[in-house]
Amino acid sequence: MFIHHNKCISPQQTFEKTDWEVLHESVENKLKAIEPSYEGIPPGVLRRMGKAVRMGVGCALPVLQGVQADGIIIGTANGGMEDCIKFLNQIIDYEEGMLTPGNFVQSTPNVIAAQLGLMTRNKRYNITHVHRGLAFENAMLDASMMLHENPQAVYLLGAVDEISAYNYNIDHLNGWYKKEPVKSRNLYSSITEGSLAGEGAVMFTVSNQETNAVAKVKGFDTLHTTNEHTVKEALAAFLKKHLHADEKPGIFFTGENGDNRMLKYYSAAESVFDEATTIARFKHMSGEFETASAMALWLACNLPDRLPAHCIKKEGAANSAGNIIIYNNYKGVQHAFICVQKPVNNKE
Amino acid sequence: MSILVTGIGIISAIGNNVNENRTSLINKASGITTLSLFNSRYAGLRPCGEIKIETTALKNRLNAFEKGVTRSSLLALHAFDEAVADAKLSLSQLQHPRTALIGASTVGGMCLTDELYHDANKTEDGSEYLSSYDCASVNLYLQERYKTGGIVNTINTACSSSANAIIYGARLLKQGYADIAIVGGTDSLAKFTINGFNALHILSPDPCTPFDRDRKGLNLGEAAAFLVLEKEENTKGKTVYAKIAGYGNSNDAFHPSSLSDAGDGPYLAMQQALSEAGLHPGSISYINAHGTATENNDAVESEAMLRLFGEVPDFASTKGYTGHTLGAAGAVEAVYSVLSLFYQEVYPNLNFQQPIENKELIPVPEYKKKSLRHVMSNSFGFGGNCSSLIFSTV
Repeated sequence: MFIHHNKCISPQQTFEKTDWEVLHESVENKLKAIEPSYEGIPPGVLRRMGKAVRMGVGCALPVLQGVQADGIIIGTANGGMEDCIKFLNQIIDYEEGMLTPGNFVQSTPNVIAAQLGLMTRNKRYNITHVHRGLAFENAMLDASMMLHENPQAVYLLGAVDEISAYNYNIDHLNGWYKKEPVKSRNLYSSITEGSLAGEGAVMFTVSNQETNAVAKVKGFDTLHTTNEHTVKEALAAFLKKHLHADEKPGIFFTGENGDNRMLKYYSAAESVFDEATTIARFKHMSGEFETASAMALWLACNLPDRLPAHCIKKEGAANSAGNIIIYNNYKGVQHAFICVQKPVNNKE
Repeated sequence: MSILVTGIGIISAIGNNVNENRTSLINKASGITTLSLFNSRYAGLRPCGEIKIETTALKNRLNAFEKGVTRSSLLALHAFDEAVADAKLSLSQLQHPRTALIGASTVGGMCLTDELYHDANKTEDGSEYLSSYDCASVNLYLQERYKTGGIVNTINTACSSSANAIIYGARLLKQGYADIAIVGGTDSLAKFTINGFNALHILSPDPCTPFDRDRKGLNLGEAAAFLVLEKEENTKGKTVYAKIAGYGNSNDAFHPSSLSDAGDGPYLAMQQALSEAGLHPGSISYINAHGTATENNDAVESEAMLRLFGEVPDFASTKGYTGHTLGAAGAVEAVYSVLSLFYQEVYPNLNFQQPIENKELIPVPEYKKKSLRHVMSNSFGFGGNCSSLIFSTV
């Protein structure tokens, strides 16, 4: 599967004039997305959109410009959580009284894919995967199967999740965010439980066409386990499957997130690599959210010639990126590996 | 390669297992009643397809005492267990890396509307359900309980969610990502959906009347259903209910909560399912229609069927029995379609009196035995998400 057009709305400068060196910091333990002005969306339509829908649609429309996609495949754990809870609050606050259905209609997670179908008049394949920390990977598997079934096709593949006051509260109560104030630049030196909240939207067009592709996804795999040894074995098997014996990945890009309970998984995974491979991290840029791995994939597609120092955990000996291996885990249960190859002399 | 159905499980307002559901379908016994277990101000005003087993009783019955398990998950577990037992899958087969679990839900743990309200708006003193509200919580619970070993996914395309879970599972098998796929969906009644559909003025004050001229809207229902899918070569000696012959997915791309008059989404989904199955419209013996009994759906679905089939085959909606079970509906009706094929019988549409003007379509009024070869099952959802499945005899 090859990645062509791509856009990312994130807490960092990724949407317009990408700059990896300037690091935008977390505020009150949240890394909020830097939203663009969404020029392609009529103001009346924009006003009615919740943040997740706005980010998803606003990120996808430029990616779809000039492309007649054969399907829209979105991964999102929650879709528009904000609208969902607004409607819920109406139910309770007005004791199931007279309610307006707007928030209800906007609250279903399939709204982003649906809105994109509506706005681009796309009547083809349309689906939303919501499997929490593997919502994006399942969307990617879907896209990859669709490309196998329809080799000439082009699909929109994307992921969106938002920080709302509500999902922040729920995950905070559950111990998934830091209780003490932590700055994103110090995320990895924190030794407590929890991470920083993050959000974003990432959109790609994918096809089987190698020409002008920004990257090739050579393979990916998912698993559900709480055992770090199982993760390590699965990663070793994954590398064996997708790389030649003498091929050393240039970069191992991990979702380490400052939560001391997750470190054992990342340490176990890192131990699979030798000194050739640079170990790098991205959650200080994205924050933690269910579809953060989509942002890792976008970053891998758009790597600068030199990886910024703030991403590097351990510098490797290999001097070119070559294959990039992404490993992310969500809440110590849902794990995913992605193998990405950047074509060296094949840029647009 | 043929993808076969080797196990089925279901719990709905018309029965706690496959046999009870079939008996109710044959006897025209509706499960639409006044709400008695579910607490809502609409309890006396909006009849629903309620499963008359309290949540604590479900937990006891299923021996499911893990922390934070919701009614949606319990219903799913109930149907999952039946389907797995029916297909005679062992625990080691469930745990095999090539056994996939693909579920769907639209309500997930939001059935606990009051708990969610509390947890979402407070900063201390969380409930036991903090990890249970999202749609994925159901399949993560099933995965954790049985340590299923293969791909796990959750799909949400509103009211067509579990039809898409079935399609995804079938495609995983076809492309070699799994040898067994357990596919289905669940949704329980929730203040969230009752109030949502009520605010849209599409909840009927009476038992719903699919495809009737004077229909007043839908009844909500709760249910879960799962199917076990296996590749033909692995099914020797097993009971095989049917084959998944085709499927289609299309977006109507018209409006967030209603379908276009011409019904392009439904039309394209059905057409694609036929083409995937390599069938012409005339070969469909029976359609389990989406038939929610809303003004919009039934008119549009009729139009799309007329456009595609010209002469519309026998069709019926089973929503008059179960209510609209949202994310579970696709799987519930897939089970009914599979039963139709297996027993060569057609289940009637309830409460029909007069056909819709200008469509003049009359759904099957009485139970009948019929020679069936290919059965189509439709599921359409908010956001224009339309899917259609075709099951065939083996």
